[in-house]
Amino acid sequence: MAKNVSGISIEASPGKSKIKKNLRRNIGFIYVLPWLIGFLVFRLYPFISSFFYSFTDFQLFDGIKEVGLMNYKEIFASPKIMKAFNVTFKYAFITVPLKLAISLFIAYILNFKLKGVKLFRTAYYIPSILGGSVAIAVLWKAVFRDDGLLNTALAFFGVEGPQWLSDPSYALFVISLLRVWQFGSAMVIFLAALKAVPNDLYEAAAIDGAGRGRQFLSITIPIITPVVFYNLVTQLCQAFQEFNGPYIITQGGPRNSTTLISLLIYNNAFKSYEMGMASAMAWLMFIILTVFTVIAFLSQKYWVHYSDEEAK
Amino acid sequence: MKRIATLLLALIMVLSLAACGKDNTDAETGGVTKKEDTAKTDDTKKEDTKKEDTKKEDASKPADDTADTKEPVTIKFSWWGGDSRHEATLAAIEKFQETYDWITVEPQYGAWSGWEESMATAFATKTAPDVNQINWNWITSFSSDGSAFKDLNEYSDTIKLENFSKSSLDLCTLAGELQAIPVSMTGRIFYWNKTTFDKAGIATPTNLAELYAAGETFKNVLGDDYYPISLGEYDRMILMVYYLESVYGKAWVVDNELQYTAEEIQKGLEFIQSLEDAHVTPSIQTITGDGAESLDKNPKWMEGKYAGIFEWDSSASKFQKALAEGQEFIVGEYMKDMGDYQGGYAKVSLAFAISETTPYPEECALLINFLLNEDAGVEIMKSERGIPLSKNGLEVCLNKGLLDTTVAEANVKVLSWVSFPLDPKFEAAELKNSDGIYFDAMSGLSYGDYSLADAAQVLVDGIKAALAK
Repeated sequence: MAKNVSGISIEASPGKSKIKKNLRRNIGFIYVLPWLIGFLVFRLYPFISSFFYSFTDFQLFDGIKEVGLMNYKEIFASPKIMKAFNVTFKYAFITVPLKLAISLFIAYILNFKLKGVKLFRTAYYIPSILGGSVAIAVLWKAVFRDDGLLNTALAFFGVEGPQWLSDPSYALFVISLLRVWQFGSAMVIFLAALKAVPNDLYEAAAIDGAGRGRQFLSITIPIITPVVFYNLVTQLCQAFQEFNGPYIITQGGPRNSTTLISLLIYNNAFKSYEMGMASAMAWLMFIILTVFTVIAFLSQKYWVHYSDEEAK
Repeated sequence: MKRIATLLLALIMVLSLAACGKDNTDAETGGVTKKEDTAKTDDTKKEDTKKEDTKKEDASKPADDTADTKEPVTIKFSWWGGDSRHEATLAAIEKFQETYDWITVEPQYGAWSGWEESMATAFATKTAPDVNQINWNWITSFSSDGSAFKDLNEYSDTIKLENFSKSSLDLCTLAGELQAIPVSMTGRIFYWNKTTFDKAGIATPTNLAELYAAGETFKNVLGDDYYPISLGEYDRMILMVYYLESVYGKAWVVDNELQYTAEEIQKGLEFIQSLEDAHVTPSIQTITGDGAESLDKNPKWMEGKYAGIFEWDSSASKFQKALAEGQEFIVGEYMKDMGDYQGGYAKVSLAFAISETTPYPEECALLINFLLNEDAGVEIMKSERGIPLSKNGLEVCLNKGLLDTTVAEANVKVLSWVSFPLDPKFEAAELKNSDGIYFDAMSGLSYGDYSLADAAQVLVDGIKAALAK
């Protein structure tokens, strides 16, 4: 006698029962199989093959030939690619701190018991689900073009606004602002962390005479540092891989001032069909991102406070 | 009961799979039969030249479909374009499916933006649709050895090739194979918003001297925001080549060799920069600051602040439609004082090709023939892809007054003026794209990042590298 999953007893031959036993033993594996197949086919295989391609001159329509480290040497010799790396660093170092600060600030405000707070939480989250679409490109251009909403508003106060989209000194900031505006997901994570801060700590601090600012700096921030760290790492990864903003709004211009490395990789791969060079750039980007992530993890012991460590 | 239900379900599934298998086999058999039939037809054709004459007479009629087994067949057809082209093509597909009722056509269409990238990937991975509207340079880029597209000479029984001149078919012949059928020829020409010129109190320019003078007049009479013409990076590149060919009387590239020195190109760049300096065209920074995806979507064009374009004759209608009501859009003249020669080139604007991987080449050929040569298809398509190159297509359009008069006027002017050939690599991705050499040189010059000599050298180096590939 054997029981099936729903618990109904059925007669089974020894062979069948062996199969069922195996099935039951490996049921977990079967559940994760679809994900595993997806991972192997769509992640691991491209990951490994791109590493191989990075040592070739693979052209989409012209075959493939091994070239050793030639692509990597060309990357360091090309001013255009080095500029793209430089722009990507600038973008990441403007966007990540700004986004973290704004999302934490908004989450802090939304943590108070305000009237209609649920509506505000939803409203602030909406930009995050819009992602990078044509509608967003149209909106952003309407705001930032020479005679757009922003410059019209500035002109109302007698200020002549800059050429946001066409001046290479401002265009990167416009792209950066798009990602900062989409702070919803980071905000939700911060909000969850803020809600987990015990109220009695604030009450005790208030009795000791600590104001809101002092409470925020001495209680809130130290307690939520693990979440700050998590948001820092994920936002850093996102920023280094940013593609949508420059692709839909500036196409990398003006004068390559918004050509982030991911856009250049895309252009090399799908516009110039140079898959070998694109793979090499992607791998270099991966190495740089890994270094930054490792640095972030190593820095944890100096500023991230985990509650279990306190217990030790 | 559950077991019976399971058995029944399994049986239905097995039968369905068997049926699918039967369909495939039949389709394959159908393909083989068709090839044999085609061979038979070829033999017959050789024996009987009278039959050939009859075929010529039938060039406008539906293609002979006796070779088909009439098993239901589904083919995919891809194209890019604007709304009016989509509507016309969808209507033509519907009519085609009525005429050839065993063929179902699945359309795949969209705007140009991002289209070339997705099609390049599709061709590289052998997953392209069966019939494709292609850009002329795709033949060189994707199929230099004939591996991406079928040789359409093999389907000359279905596609009435006699409707096309040999020279036009030669343009789409590479590696000894006719890889596509050209739909129309196109070239760049000036178009003016006459209403704005009237407002400025001057006639539309017919020579360079008048164009320079118009820049000054626009600035003084209409204001700093008004320009006689708007030229983006690629427009500047093409205009520069037209100018240099007019001055020096030699083609841009011959036998894969750039025919111009850096000094000569510098002269062309000087001409382009002089247009910007004389308030004839806005700077690249001004155009970028407008924040428009393309000129036809730029409010300054719609309102008439930018009063001219240098565009493909086949694309003019979208610029005309974008203008605000009450603005008159006219075709301009080539400027005879540019040089001693008639500079400029015409190229195949679009072509239809059949993917090498399609299992149904005959049906694909029927669709191409319907769109280009058959009365019913041509009447729906009109000049949506430019003025038809097909003799019968053009005849039908002319007899029934189906051509857009502006497009037709411009096309006649282009084809009677231009005299130089175009190398397909002129439109190579690494040169033409928004991060390519043309954009870098022209925007670098306009932004002041490059001197004339620097920009000329950027062009020479970039073009030579592209030609060497």
